[in-house]
Amino acid sequence: MTALRVRGLGVLLPSVTAPDDPSFPDRPVHAVDGFDVRERLGRRGTSFFDRTTALAVAACADALRDAGVDAGAQQPQDRIGVVLATTLGSFRSTSDFTRETLVQERPYLVNPMLFPNTVMNCAAGQSAIRLGLRGVNATVAGGPVAFLHALRYAADVLARGYADLMVVGAAEELSPHRVWSQVLTRGGGGAACGESAAAFVVGRDDDGSTGGTGTRILAAAAGYGPDGRRAEALSGCVRRALDRAGVAATEVDLVVTAETGPDDHGQFEAATRALGHRPRHRQVTAAFGDCDAATPAVGLAQLILNRRARPEKPGTTALLVAEGLDGAAAAALVRSPQCR
Amino acid sequence: MPVIAATTQLTCFGDGSRTWAALTDGRCGARPFDAATAARLNVGATYPIAGRADRGRAADWLATVLRAAAAEAGVDARRERVVVVVGTGLRQLADVERWALDDTPCPVDQLHFGSAVRAALPGVREVVTLANACSAGGHALALAQDLVEAGEADVAVAAAADTATLSMQAMIGKVADRPTARVRPFDRDRTGVLLGDGAAAVVVTPVERPGPRLAHLLATGLSCDAVHETAPDVGGMTRAMRDALLRADREARDVRVVVAHGTGTALNDPTECQAIREVIHADQGDPWVTALKGAIGHTSGAAALCGVDIAVRGLRLGAVPPVVGLGNPLAEADGVRLVRDHPVAVPGSLTQINSFGFGGVNAVTLLEPAC
Repeated sequence: MTALRVRGLGVLLPSVTAPDDPSFPDRPVHAVDGFDVRERLGRRGTSFFDRTTALAVAACADALRDAGVDAGAQQPQDRIGVVLATTLGSFRSTSDFTRETLVQERPYLVNPMLFPNTVMNCAAGQSAIRLGLRGVNATVAGGPVAFLHALRYAADVLARGYADLMVVGAAEELSPHRVWSQVLTRGGGGAACGESAAAFVVGRDDDGSTGGTGTRILAAAAGYGPDGRRAEALSGCVRRALDRAGVAATEVDLVVTAETGPDDHGQFEAATRALGHRPRHRQVTAAFGDCDAATPAVGLAQLILNRRARPEKPGTTALLVAEGLDGAAAAALVRSPQCR
Repeated sequence: MPVIAATTQLTCFGDGSRTWAALTDGRCGARPFDAATAARLNVGATYPIAGRADRGRAADWLATVLRAAAAEAGVDARRERVVVVVGTGLRQLADVERWALDDTPCPVDQLHFGSAVRAALPGVREVVTLANACSAGGHALALAQDLVEAGEADVAVAAAADTATLSMQAMIGKVADRPTARVRPFDRDRTGVLLGDGAAAVVVTPVERPGPRLAHLLATGLSCDAVHETAPDVGGMTRAMRDALLRADREARDVRVVVAHGTGTALNDPTECQAIREVIHADQGDPWVTALKGAIGHTSGAAALCGVDIAVRGLRLGAVPPVVGLGNPLAEADGVRLVRDHPVAVPGSLTQINSFGFGGVNAVTLLEPAC
């Protein structure tokens, strides 16, 4: 895989709160506090955005600004593309719209302006329209591993010359629909539901440009281990990522997982089996809630933000891992140098 | 830069060499519908693959072209990492249609191409099917080149197949003033498009692989209009052409032959002429332009690769076949050098193949002779 250089990032992180809406189950959630789409992006053109789309567009806009890229509908960029990771788009939009088709008077007077929100690639499409990004536009649906798949997708697009820069990200919104689905599929257990969005402007590491965050994505690998072979698949992903990057396992000094807390360490164990040692360990879901496809994106954002907050610290080589309930597994190797 | 190691197609005239012969003879493969069907569909004719009365299964034609192309290239999917990328518009819709029309049982488990491809090429690693309307084959070829250049496959086969379904023909009839009897690309009196059955396969390999080398596959440029649901857009067409030239590192003026999309519709043909002028003529180029659909109909998802097959034959034989069905060129083609009535001799040189699909999906391929 072509190594990627992260040129800029935009991130909307959640904090713990208790929802004041009775349609939520009675449990804490992680919400992006005080996010208002009209305040962030203006009233024009945003009134029909659902929250997933609004969070994604805001994160993409921030990432481009952070990277110093002029972007907007008035100055379209033919060579910048977008790839966003998702679980199923906006669950709320899809399910509310479907409900309208059943409960409205015949001939089912649904609001056509809300229809675009029901397709999974709405957030990536609206980001491109609003920010004038006319390159490759893709949505990768893969649940908790989707963002790491999207990194690979972006690397392939750049390596094959279909775009000069890609905005790669993920967004998941908080809604009763998502919280209930997590509660019901996990028998009431699991982490608190979270929402977040993160986007990264990435280019080829070898394209001669300098600057940006200094962080590089060296390699990503995806695997599949159904029927109880998921841990094995994850270990395989780690080995392949190291191999593709030409990095020794001993150089990895941090493992970032999507685990939910102290009792949940399966991802770390699978990763350390492949590494042969036990480096530092950070659990993203434990800190920010279960943000589904956005969880590994938040993990990457946190690495870069920490680097910016403490530039004097030595550089780090981190391994990001994630896994899905169906047996999906993925890993990415990320290197942040010491800032000078 | 990968090479094309083998290529063939299957059309109303038969295999690739028969199709080439028919084109150079200026033959039209249209077969009129009986009066009742023509009136019902508002479509005058179609370009059927012979013997299609049995079932007209795109998967069978796909298997035929895959076997032929793999044999010609000496591909053994059990010994090499072979990936097949299939482009199609309608896949096996004909089976579903028959089910609806006369209760013929629908083989639901065979509505995809996977089993047909695996039976044709035992050992094949991956079968990827993509649907990008009438430029599907061009997109399949772009992906095949990506797979070979990225080292993900030893051999990638771009293939395509489509059946002229009755429901698709009825849709064409809906937008025609009166039934069309034949396709007349770039003609002043063109009356619209007709569908043809078609399949094609193009074997892409790294240049180092031992075996035949028919042409260099330089690049396929892709673009999306993002303008209109059905109408073509000159900006989208020119972006795909320029993307191909950029990726191939070639100058527009050096394009000597264009195998045009040329659908014989009111909008495509003038728009395509304008795009050719804006990109190639504006750079002092003056290519010969031909089109296949007057002879073989619009083979939908297979159209791009049917064009590639003809282009490869033209490169090797040093000739370009005429636009079958063209009598009186449209005014907008003024200055565009359309090949008329007889083949012209053109020593093998930079050749461009256009394909533009509904929804504004465009793919433009560039080929050069293999030395």
